[in-house]
Amino acid sequence: MHRRKFIQLIAQGLLGAGLLPKSAFANHPQDKRRLQFVFAQIRYRGGDWNPHPLSVTPLMEELMARTSVEAAAVRHEISLTDRDLFNYPFLYLAGKYEFDPFSAEEIDNLRRFLSYGGFLLIDDALGQQGYGFDKAVRREMQKLFPGNEFKRVPSGHAALRSYYLLRRIGGVRIVSPTLESITLGNSMPVVYCQNNLGGAWERDQVGKWTNTCTPGGEAQRKDAFHLGINLILYAMTENYKDDLIHVPFIRKRLTR
Amino acid sequence: MPDLYLIGTLPGWLVALIGVATAALLLQQFLGLKKRLPVGQCVVLTVLRAVVYMGLIFFLLGPALIDKRVTKLRRPLTLLIDTSQSMAFPASAKTNAADKGIKSRLDLVREKLEAGPNVNDSLIQKLNRDYDLRVIRFGTSLESIAPGSLAGLKPQDPGTRLLELLQQAVRDSAAQSGIVVFSDGIANGDKKTWDSAPLLPVPVFTVGVGDAENFTDVRIAKLSAPEFAFRGREFKLDLTIAASGMKGKSVPLFFNRGKNLVTTRNITIDADLFEQKITLSFTPKDLGTHGFSVSIPAQPGEQIAQNNQKEFKVDVQRDKIRVLTLSGSPAWNYRFLRMAMKQDPLIELISFVFLRTPSDSVDVPESQLSLIPFPIDDIFLEELKNFDVIFFDDFSHRAYFNPVYLERVRDFVRDGGGLAMFGGSRAFDSGGYGESALKEVLPVELDGKGTYQSVGALNAVLTTTGKAHPITRLLPDPKTNEEAWSKMPPLTGLNQVRSARGETLISTSGDGSAGGAPLLTVGRFGKGRTLAFMSDDAWRWNFIAVGNKETPQNHLKLIRQAVRWLAQEPSFEQVQLRPIASAQPGEKIAIKLKVLKDDFTPTRQASVQLRVLSAESEPTLVAASADSDEGEYTGEFIPTKEGTYRVEAEASLAGKVLGKDKTSFTAAFTYGETDDGRPRLDLLKQIAETSKGEYFSINDWNEKTVEKIAAKLESVAPSQIVEQRQTRLWSTLWPFGIILMLLSVEWWMRRKWGLI
Repeated sequence: MHRRKFIQLIAQGLLGAGLLPKSAFANHPQDKRRLQFVFAQIRYRGGDWNPHPLSVTPLMEELMARTSVEAAAVRHEISLTDRDLFNYPFLYLAGKYEFDPFSAEEIDNLRRFLSYGGFLLIDDALGQQGYGFDKAVRREMQKLFPGNEFKRVPSGHAALRSYYLLRRIGGVRIVSPTLESITLGNSMPVVYCQNNLGGAWERDQVGKWTNTCTPGGEAQRKDAFHLGINLILYAMTENYKDDLIHVPFIRKRLTR
Repeated sequence: MPDLYLIGTLPGWLVALIGVATAALLLQQFLGLKKRLPVGQCVVLTVLRAVVYMGLIFFLLGPALIDKRVTKLRRPLTLLIDTSQSMAFPASAKTNAADKGIKSRLDLVREKLEAGPNVNDSLIQKLNRDYDLRVIRFGTSLESIAPGSLAGLKPQDPGTRLLELLQQAVRDSAAQSGIVVFSDGIANGDKKTWDSAPLLPVPVFTVGVGDAENFTDVRIAKLSAPEFAFRGREFKLDLTIAASGMKGKSVPLFFNRGKNLVTTRNITIDADLFEQKITLSFTPKDLGTHGFSVSIPAQPGEQIAQNNQKEFKVDVQRDKIRVLTLSGSPAWNYRFLRMAMKQDPLIELISFVFLRTPSDSVDVPESQLSLIPFPIDDIFLEELKNFDVIFFDDFSHRAYFNPVYLERVRDFVRDGGGLAMFGGSRAFDSGGYGESALKEVLPVELDGKGTYQSVGALNAVLTTTGKAHPITRLLPDPKTNEEAWSKMPPLTGLNQVRSARGETLISTSGDGSAGGAPLLTVGRFGKGRTLAFMSDDAWRWNFIAVGNKETPQNHLKLIRQAVRWLAQEPSFEQVQLRPIASAQPGEKIAIKLKVLKDDFTPTRQASVQLRVLSAESEPTLVAASADSDEGEYTGEFIPTKEGTYRVEAEASLAGKVLGKDKTSFTAAFTYGETDDGRPRLDLLKQIAETSKGEYFSINDWNEKTVEKIAAKLESVAPSQIVEQRQTRLWSTLWPFGIILMLLSVEWWMRRKWGLI
């Protein structure tokens, strides 16, 4: 049984006991829930664009189980020149090896995408700074936003508070304890993680974790899921958690 | 009878020398004759010659006959009488402004000038007989009046340009004239002091009216208030309280907004000439122009009550439009809605996104989540009034709300708030609003059966109303605007509603033709406005447009304009009164307004009703007529008194009210004539002194004063003309004939006595 369905059934059971509002699930039966979020992964030339083919579904299940976001269970594969690129404001760029340079059209499309509200999560499955995927990513980002280099994401950033109050960055291997990002004005449209997040999210066909997370084990994997959820919510709500109304609550919880 | 004068120009010493020489000559002549003639004949001849010499010497002295004729003239005299409003104040400290039968300063002047045994022998008539009299009343200008028309004088002028008008009167005066000024000395024209004034060429006699020493008054001397303030933010006003002759008294100060008391202060007057600065503050809660006043009740014995109150108006604006958004879940629609509002400096956004539903489980303790409890009671029971617009963005109340909160939202809109509902699977009928208190509020009909549907491609089509409406007018040019809308990316989700109750601005049509389901509908409920957007896909008009290499600005502008329209920004009103500048009582004021139809196109067929209200008088209805096809209307009004006037406008077309607006303006004289009624007798004394005239108190004005003035004028410049006729004796033949005759007699005697 789908985890979310199970929880709903439990909740409906509670409904009978009067513990939840009666109308909580009283939407019209003909209403078709809209998929608000689709995880779109970039296909590119050269290298390996798909190091963890089964990584997205576990993340989406987790996203739907923990949050109110209605998400597509499977990822959408897309290239930067696809006509419907802008239908998917959240893009995921993963890889292990150095890939071919983006074309001028791809650069232009991605620049427009990121400059007007789109979000890009970059995930390095190799985790070798200056080599392979990392080298190609930094090269392409320089072409995208010349002079605007990656910078460390501060620990109090809204992206690290958008749902979970994150203190650690998870992944298969902790290559870097922090995230890097490119900021444009007040927004942060590009986040780069070198800890192989996709590897930590991935299950095989029978539901076993594909990769072991070291050195933190399952707690480190949990951190990777939390980070994935946080970044998706950050993309959809931007600096919402920086609004003044949230600040005292968050500060109070962080000082406990 | 002519008088003899010696008008010769020879010096005396020369005449004396000539006399001595002549005497010596005569002596020599006598001694010479004595040798040849008897003494008697010598004497006769010498005397004859002496007479001739004396005659010649006499003529050397320049003898002349002068005939004088004196003519007496009627001297020009100008009487300047102050008829400014301050002359209505009591002439004496012993009288009270509130007393009946009070003698005003002008009354006293009139009484003194008309004093006398009878009308024909009054002082003014005597002056009229003795002088070439001109009587002029003055205040803000000079106006000649007949000497017999003093009874008709009224203290009517709104200011006293004393020094300027005195100089003008001097320029107009003839030579040898005099000027008498009856005034309380209050000068509030451009010149207020005599220091820099030039010397006057004619004597000015000043007659001071009013009692400066025993003057009793408390007044609001200065008031400094802002012309506009922001709603919810405190503004301050500084005022100065001044008092004379009220030492030891305590007076209350009232600060009112309209007729409602804001605050009061007690002021203790601790000096004869008292002045105290006070700062008051107020936090306005309602938008619009509001009239305020500060006042002190008239005190016993106080001579002037008019200056105990000052009125002012403050235009209360919103510093920001406060928007509350409730989003059912994180979604791209929220992301781009937020972008539109956050980038607009006029909008202050408070948003709540329901990141988790009751069915979502968490895998960490609450302390590791950033979720905050939704402060539902604070928002809907306390803070709702502080917002201007509420957005329900794909949000269903059912999981979170007690129905009473929606009733609060309904009341919020009825009282003037704005409500927008954006679509999705939690909105409209899908969100259960068909059975809620908002059913009657929303501009669409809900029947509980409407569903949310994902659709293939939904094109937006501007309706006729949408083409002109300020929300959907993204570009000024109608054609370009329609083109922009035709390029909007299609939407993919739609909430079905039974029908539109308000004005539909955008409808949907899969095949691109008009007449589909309503997509964007606006309406009114009570004093508030409502908007329904039957899709959760508005973000596509932004981001997909960017992907199509179109601008995202159309979406951002649409959201911002919707917020402004919902918040009833003045520039989005169908009836807009133009600001009215301050004016003076008696001055014609043009009240201008713009009227737009429901489709926001101008109309000249509207019926416009203007009402002007003041605190003291009944409302006045003002007729307004259309000026042009641009929807401009004008009405005219003349304020009669000083004060704040409120203008209310309502326009209707074919029996339907298009809208209302209100503003206010202030009518006040710029002189401040009644601000400070203390007589300035020192100024009158200064004028008299520098012009070689004299100062008199009105209490001393009588016949003797008139005689004093006459004597003074006479000493400065006599009022008579002396004519002289001069006959120079040496210029006639007679003196020469006599001398010739004497010389002939001498010659004849000499011949007879044998000398020749």
